[in-house]
Amino acid sequence: MLQKKIPIAVGFVLGLFGLVQYYSPHPEVVSAYSELLDWVQVIFAFTLVVGVISIFQINLKKINRRERFWGYSIVTIVALIVMAAAGFIEGTGTGTLFVWIFNNVQVPMQSTVFALLAFLVASAAYRGFRLRSKEASILLIAALLIMLGRIPVGGLISDYIPKTADWILTVPSMSAKRAVLIGIGLGSITTALRVILGIERSYLGRS
Amino acid sequence: MDLTRLDKRWIYLLLLLAVGIPLLVKVKLPVRLTAETEKVFEAVETVDSTGFVMISFDIEASSLPEVRPIAEALLKHLFRRDQRVIGLALFPEGTAIGYDLISSIANEYGKKYGEDFIYLGFRPQYVSAILQMGEDIRSVYPLDYLNNDWTMTGPFSGVRNYDDIELVISVADGSLPTYWVEYAGARHGQRIATGLTAVMATSYYPYTESGQLVGLIGGLKGAAEYEQLLGYVGGGQRGMLAQSSGHILIIALVLLVNLVAVRRRR
Amino acid sequence: MELGTLVALILTLAIFSFLYRENPFYRFAEYLLVGISVGYYLVIICRNTLYPMVIDRIFIRGELLAIVPVILGLLMFARLSRKWAYLSRLPLALMIGFGAGISIPAMLQARIMKQMSASMLPLTSINGIIILIGVISTILYFYFSKKQEGFYGNITRLGTYFLMIFFGATFGYTVMSRVSLLIGRLEFILRDAIGIVS
Repeated sequence: MLQKKIPIAVGFVLGLFGLVQYYSPHPEVVSAYSELLDWVQVIFAFTLVVGVISIFQINLKKINRRERFWGYSIVTIVALIVMAAAGFIEGTGTGTLFVWIFNNVQVPMQSTVFALLAFLVASAAYRGFRLRSKEASILLIAALLIMLGRIPVGGLISDYIPKTADWILTVPSMSAKRAVLIGIGLGSITTALRVILGIERSYLGRS
Repeated sequence: MDLTRLDKRWIYLLLLLAVGIPLLVKVKLPVRLTAETEKVFEAVETVDSTGFVMISFDIEASSLPEVRPIAEALLKHLFRRDQRVIGLALFPEGTAIGYDLISSIANEYGKKYGEDFIYLGFRPQYVSAILQMGEDIRSVYPLDYLNNDWTMTGPFSGVRNYDDIELVISVADGSLPTYWVEYAGARHGQRIATGLTAVMATSYYPYTESGQLVGLIGGLKGAAEYEQLLGYVGGGQRGMLAQSSGHILIIALVLLVNLVAVRRRR
Repeated sequence: MELGTLVALILTLAIFSFLYRENPFYRFAEYLLVGISVGYYLVIICRNTLYPMVIDRIFIRGELLAIVPVILGLLMFARLSRKWAYLSRLPLALMIGFGAGISIPAMLQARIMKQMSASMLPLTSINGIIILIGVISTILYFYFSKKQEGFYGNITRLGTYFLMIFFGATFGYTVMSRVSLLIGRLEFILRDAIGIVS
């Protein structure tokens, strides 16, 4: 019973405090609020470390059980150890092995993974963008105008193309996004209130 | 050959050629300025000469090709104006990237660490970090990225919170500018500008239109505009021809496939 | 060619090889990336966050109150054990409960009040009228508790069209963004690695 009731009570008290402190100028309240912000950052840092250990555990399990592609898990673990050792032993300043690995291994690979999306987006547009309905046609025309209006060539064809793209972005598209923001804001406030009041408990996990 | 059912690898090859070949050619295309980018430029221009500007590298390595020209242009503008710059990161990967960028651009302009710029590094839980910097930056970052105590001596020791920061620029590839607006902007009245990837740009027009963001530099095109305002050719301007031909290829493919489909229906 | 550039080139091509078909080079690069990224995170968290916020504060500055979040943070490690995982609920409740509380006034002000007031532009301009109609019709579209038919259905359909314009604009910008990333990688290959472009 106490395994859930105490955390829910803590969530309620601190949630209420977080809400009320916004409207209170008292120095004691501001001081307590600052201290809590500090605590959240420290706890979150430990949470990230837990995540790292978890990845280590998952890959070790894969190796022990000889699951599919278990050999690649060895690569992951060795890479993790080498990178961590480089950072802890030599530091993270300019010219260190840590920075060398980051600049020549991590950054190029990560950038390239996302650069693959250019090809996938082109293929998806070619396969999926069809004038099937009114809504699809509006979507297609807006996309084409933005793609043409946001490149220098669009302006060379006609001045109206970039002007239309500007208008689309700052008027109809903006107003739809604004409505979505307002909707998300209302939904987020509702969810936050449910968390504070203990109605929403999924973050506590199962008993 | 059915043009509506080409193997996707042909599409990949066409895109590779459409984007790769223009990179071999040095052609500078005229870049049309947008109001959002000009507003960021004006915001930096109106910062007091003794004022501090905070630049937050809220990015991951995956978006670096797009965001690097934006960050470089902003840093060049700040250092050209002899502005004192405080760098930090609210994403782990942005930490090393931000330090590398700020150091290399500062070096170009002969700027010294500790006197002209400092780099505070990474803090987790960005909401707490942004909120707490509104009370006391020194409690969030008692030490800088190089583990020096920056709070005791030097020109930056007087910086306490957002009241001492004239402008915060979030160079981002995700939703961090939203949190800057909601927590630093709404609560502490901090002026916020942003440079971000094009994919996120459409989501921030409501904030620029409402005045919650002073301006927005969107994607490689935004970087090209900023470079034009500064009068130099960087990654943004260099990529415009390749960007144009990539877009034209995709537009042509979509139009072709739809034309064929419409003809078949008739 | 420098060693770093050569390594970056090989790994870039290994990732790009996925476009032809999934293969052992791509898979190796993928698993390598995971390991390196996690190692990077660990170093940055420990050196750049835990050291100044915990070690420096407690042992050098003598701020003993900082021990409390350390204890709470250590409780998070209980998540690694099924038997003791319930201990991590306390720090989780602190973070999530407090986070929920501080988010409410921020959302109310920044996302709702400010955005609503910005929508109420003078109706003397056509753009102002379009924005107001767009915001209202799109918000009404998301109200699913009332059946969307008749006059109300026409308004919500108008909201759908505004949403389609937004999705189209977002797709256009997404294409721009992804092509920019490809430009960056090709520039690296052609300029830094092979040296065809100066």
